[in-house]
Amino acid sequence: MMDTQLLISGVIFGLSIGSIYFLMAIGLSLCFGLMRIISLDQLLYYSIGAYITYSLSLATGNVWLGVLGGVAVGGITAFAVERLVFRRIYERELTFSMITSFGILIGGIGVIKFFWGVVPRPVPVPTMSQIDIIGTDVPVYRLIVVGVAALVYIGIWLFLNRTIIGKAIRAGIEDVEHVEGLGINVSRLFTITFIIAGALSGLAGGLHAPLIMVDPAMGLEVLAFVFMVVIIGGLGSIKGTLISAFIVGQVVSIGSLIYAPLAMMAPFAIMLLILLIKPTGLYGSTLVKK
Amino acid sequence: MIKAFKWWWGIVLAFSLLGLSRAFLPLAFLNEVIIFSIYTIGCSFLLGRVGFISFGQPAYLAVGAYGTAFYLFYFGTNPYVGLLVGVLSGLIVSGIVGPLFVKLRSDYFALVNLALAVIIFYLMQKVLADITKGDNGLWFLTNIASTPVLDLGKPSHFFIFALLVAMAVWAFYKYLDDSIFGACCLATKINEDKLKFLGYSNYSVRLLAFIMANTTTALAGAMYAVYLGFVSPEMSSPHRAPDPVVVTILGGVGTLYGPLVGAFAYTGMKDAISKLIGNWELFIGFLLVFIMLAGEKGIWGTLQPHLEKLFFWKKRKPETDSSAKAPR
Repeated sequence: MMDTQLLISGVIFGLSIGSIYFLMAIGLSLCFGLMRIISLDQLLYYSIGAYITYSLSLATGNVWLGVLGGVAVGGITAFAVERLVFRRIYERELTFSMITSFGILIGGIGVIKFFWGVVPRPVPVPTMSQIDIIGTDVPVYRLIVVGVAALVYIGIWLFLNRTIIGKAIRAGIEDVEHVEGLGINVSRLFTITFIIAGALSGLAGGLHAPLIMVDPAMGLEVLAFVFMVVIIGGLGSIKGTLISAFIVGQVVSIGSLIYAPLAMMAPFAIMLLILLIKPTGLYGSTLVKK
Repeated sequence: MIKAFKWWWGIVLAFSLLGLSRAFLPLAFLNEVIIFSIYTIGCSFLLGRVGFISFGQPAYLAVGAYGTAFYLFYFGTNPYVGLLVGVLSGLIVSGIVGPLFVKLRSDYFALVNLALAVIIFYLMQKVLADITKGDNGLWFLTNIASTPVLDLGKPSHFFIFALLVAMAVWAFYKYLDDSIFGACCLATKINEDKLKFLGYSNYSVRLLAFIMANTTTALAGAMYAVYLGFVSPEMSSPHRAPDPVVVTILGGVGTLYGPLVGAFAYTGMKDAISKLIGNWELFIGFLLVFIMLAGEKGIWGTLQPHLEKLFFWKKRKPETDSSAKAPR
C-alpha cells in the first residue's frame, strides 16, 4: 500500500491542480449559463495571464505583482474580445461560438508567439518554504493556490447571492428575456460576466505559471482537462464545477501515484462514464438555447 | 448517359484538375492534400449535414492508422489488406462508441470526442507502449510489399490510387447528399422534432451518419499510414484536433467540394506562411474568426455562386446545389 507521506503530498498536489482548473472552469460555466456560448478563448486569457506573470515577475522581481497584472490584462483582453467579436455572435448557435472562440484562441497563441517567442519560460516560485502536515513537507505555494481558489469561490458565491448584479446574472441563467423585461441592461451584464471570466482565467494562468513552464501552447494542454471539469460538473453550475474540479484534481494526482499513464486517461474515462449515466453532468440542468 | 455525365462531371472535373496540377506542384504536397481532404470530409459531413461538431476526429484517424500499422508491422505485407484492416477497425470503433455518443447534445458531443482522442493518444503513447513502441512510433515502410498494378510504396503510384479513392469517396458523399438519408441528416440538424414527426428516428439517422463519417476518417488514417510508412501517437494528439474543423470552415461548411478546396488552401497556406513568417497560427486563427463573422461561407461557399454564374448563366439549373439546400 501507499505510504502516508506520498498520499498527503498527492492530495495536496491534486487540490492545487483542481483549484487551477476550477478557476478557469467558473468562467466557462458562467459564460455558458448566462450567454449560452462556449468560450474556448478562456484558455487564451489563461496563457496571457501566465505570460504577463512571467514578464512582470522578471521586471519587478515580485511574482504576486505579476499575478495581479495577469488578472488585469486577462480581464482587459476579455473585454476587448467581447466588444469586438462576441457581441455579434451571442444569438448564434453553440457550435458557432465554439468555432469562433477557437479561432480567437489559435490567433491569440500566434500573438503570444510573436511577442514572447516559442521557447518555454520558467517563472520563479514566490515562496520556497515548506510546511509540516502530519509528518509530510508540503510546499506552501500549493496551499496558497488552494486558498486563493477557496477565496474566489466564496467571493463568487457572495457576488452571485448578495449583489444586485449577481442576482441578475443568476436570474439570467434561468431566463434572460425575463431579466431584460425587468429593465436590466442585459448587454452590460454579459460584458461584466465575460470580464469576470477572463480575469479568473488570467488568475488561473498567473497562479499556475510558477508550477509549470510557460509556453505558447499551454492553453491547448489544459483545454481538455478544463472542459472535462466543466462537463462533469454540468455546464452552468458553479457548485458542480467546484465538486468536479476537486474530483478531477484528485484523480489526476492520485492516479499518477498508482500508475502514471493512468493519470491522464482516468479523468476522461470518468467523464465518459458520468456523461453516459447523466448526459448533462452532475449538476447541469437541461439548459437549451432559446 | 447524359444524366450520368451530369452527375459525375463535377467530381471528374475537380479531380482531373487536381491530377493535372501534378505537373507544377510537388507530389508530396498533393498526396498530403488528398489525404487531408478525405480526412476532412467526414468532419464536414458531421458539422454541415448532421450539425455535430467534433473536436475528436484525430481519434478515428489514429484508429485507422494504427489498424493499418499493426497489420503491416506484425502480420502481413500487402498494403491493400492493411488499408482494409484500418477501415474495418475504424468501422468497429465508431460502431462501439457511436451509440453512446450520438445521444449527446452537440456541444457535449464535441468534447466527448476530444476526450476520446486524448484517451487514444495516451493509450497509444503509454499504456500499449509495448505494442505501439510509444513515442518512437511504428516504422514499417520496408515491410510494405510491392503490388502489381499500383505499387503503393511509390509516391507517384500512391497519388493515382489516392486520387481514385478520393473520387470514390466524393461520389459516395454526393450520392448521400442526393438521397433521402441525406435529407434526413439535414432535417435532424435543423429540426429534430419534425423529423420524429415524419416517422424517422433521429437516433438511427445520427448513428448511421456518425459511423459513415468516422469510417471515412479512419480511411484517411489508413492512407496516411501506408503513405508515410510510419505512425506515432502524435497523430491523435489533442493539438491536432482543430485541424479538420479549421479546414471544414475554411472550405465552406457542408458543401461537397469545401473539404477539397479547404485542404488545398490550408496545406498550401501552412507551407507558405511557415516559410514566410513562421507564425501561421496568428494568420489561421484570425482568418477563422473573419470567416465566421463574415457569414461562415468559407472559400468554396463564397466562390460557388460566382462560378455557377460564370459557367451556367441562364443555361440550366446548377446541379451542385447542395449548399443551396442547406439554409443557414
